[in-house]
Amino acid sequence: MRKILVIAIKELSSYFKSPIAYIVLTITITVFNIFFFMIIEQNREATLRDVFKVMEFMFVFIIPILTMKILSEEKLIGTMEFLMTTPTSNTAIVLGKYGGSLLFFTIILLISSVYYFILEYFAHPDRMAILVGYLGIWLEGAFFIAVGLFTSSWTRNQIVAAMSSYVILFLCYFSISFIKYFSGLLQEVIHYVSVWSHTERLFAGLIVTSDLVYFLSGAFFFILLTRLSIENRLWR
Amino acid sequence: MITTGKVTKYFGNTEALKNISFEINQGEIVGFLGPNGAGKTTLMRILTCYLPPTSGKASVCGYDIIKNSLRVRKNVGYLPETPPLYPNMTVYEYLKFAAQLKDIPTQQIRIHIDRVLEECHLTKVQRKTIQTLSKGYKQRVGIAQAIIHNPAVLILDEPTSGLDPVQILQVRNLIKGLEQKRTVILSTHILSEIEQMAQRVIIIKSGRIITDRLLKDLLTSSLEKEKYILRIQGQRQTVEKALQAIENLSLINFCSESLILHQVEVEIPPTKGIKNFLIKNILQSGCQMEEIRASKPSLEEVFLKLISEEER
Repeated sequence: MRKILVIAIKELSSYFKSPIAYIVLTITITVFNIFFFMIIEQNREATLRDVFKVMEFMFVFIIPILTMKILSEEKLIGTMEFLMTTPTSNTAIVLGKYGGSLLFFTIILLISSVYYFILEYFAHPDRMAILVGYLGIWLEGAFFIAVGLFTSSWTRNQIVAAMSSYVILFLCYFSISFIKYFSGLLQEVIHYVSVWSHTERLFAGLIVTSDLVYFLSGAFFFILLTRLSIENRLWR
Repeated sequence: MITTGKVTKYFGNTEALKNISFEINQGEIVGFLGPNGAGKTTLMRILTCYLPPTSGKASVCGYDIIKNSLRVRKNVGYLPETPPLYPNMTVYEYLKFAAQLKDIPTQQIRIHIDRVLEECHLTKVQRKTIQTLSKGYKQRVGIAQAIIHNPAVLILDEPTSGLDPVQILQVRNLIKGLEQKRTVILSTHILSEIEQMAQRVIIIKSGRIITDRLLKDLLTSSLEKEKYILRIQGQRQTVEKALQAIENLSLINFCSESLILHQVEVEIPPTKGIKNFLIKNILQSGCQMEEIRASKPSLEEVFLKLISEEER
């Protein structure tokens, strides 16, 4: 447990030691601000539902950039050999790395919580609904990060890692747009796999167990795959 | 301390190691020697639990590398070929991170960091980011990382590769200073380094051990012929004649310093009293012996001979 925390903190601080953290923070927060203003002005509603949708869309593109280097860079510069020859279990390495990115992602969300206070100042928003919405976007991010962690574990090349996570995330995010071309079981599968069908209720402030299960099991599944992938020494 | 039994490793169909068996005792300093691609790094990676062997067993400090991998790693300090450093961390941060991962209790981390900073002469650069350091410093940070938890076994993969002569000397002295009671395995292809540091040499070629001997035995016994350097006074022709008359002697080099002073390099199979025999023969021919000295074979010669013998 202590080592997971040590690795996570090191990971988080390494974001802030490279320009990537500042670029990502600047871009996301700027875009969020613009859309927050536009959405509120247009809808005239004290809710963040549509803002969450914009965030979700942005995270599909931003998270692979955050995660692409987590493990691939370690492999490239040889520090994976260092990590794996210290008395640290592979599970701790994977969870620590995951935790570091999740912390950074949480920081982005915490900064965006300013929107809630703005709404609270001017109107009376439904606090629980916004909190559930944040839970939704956080769970979705946790799932996306697990996907990025996994693709980063296959390769030494950050671009390959980012591209492969884009493929998986696009499948999860955009597949719903093509659902009308399918029917029967396939349609149901696409509907279940798509993140849209799960975030919609959460963003509206509704907690449904199946949605929580979807994100948590998805994250767990990809973390497990990562664990297996770094164990598979033929890939090194 | 370290035992391996018939360790074999395949990468796909490529055989990287074949039936590697040896035993290394506590306090020994062993050099792994071999051409590039011989399997030295693979063997070290197996001993540090980074790669599992395809078959065979290995144990370090009595712990099996597969079943008790965490225990093994606790007792081993490892410096891979390229020092595994995070370029954007400072030396201090990096060593702290290494100490935390290597199970050093929080209260003692500072003491251990200060100790290795001192031992590796890094105190001055502890606040610098690693990417700004020169190669020699980076290598020393790598060594500091390997010894921070006081491991019983130290495995160093080419610790001096790519350094300049001054840095090589510094790193070499550093490793020599560490030896007390510690088992050290180091690989290198700089042969003089092994000669200066190791007591025992394991020569590996194409994944097989071709020699495993104490360095001093290896140097004295592996060549069939002994080499002598003689300085002889006399007419060149007489000297040549005298040397040709000696059985089994082969002339390697004949160099005249003046008309009547010659320096000669000869090879002759080692037998008892060979030196006296040489002197007697030269004197009998009417020449005078100015000097005779045995030229010890260098590890390089032995190494090249063993490697090329294998090829034949």
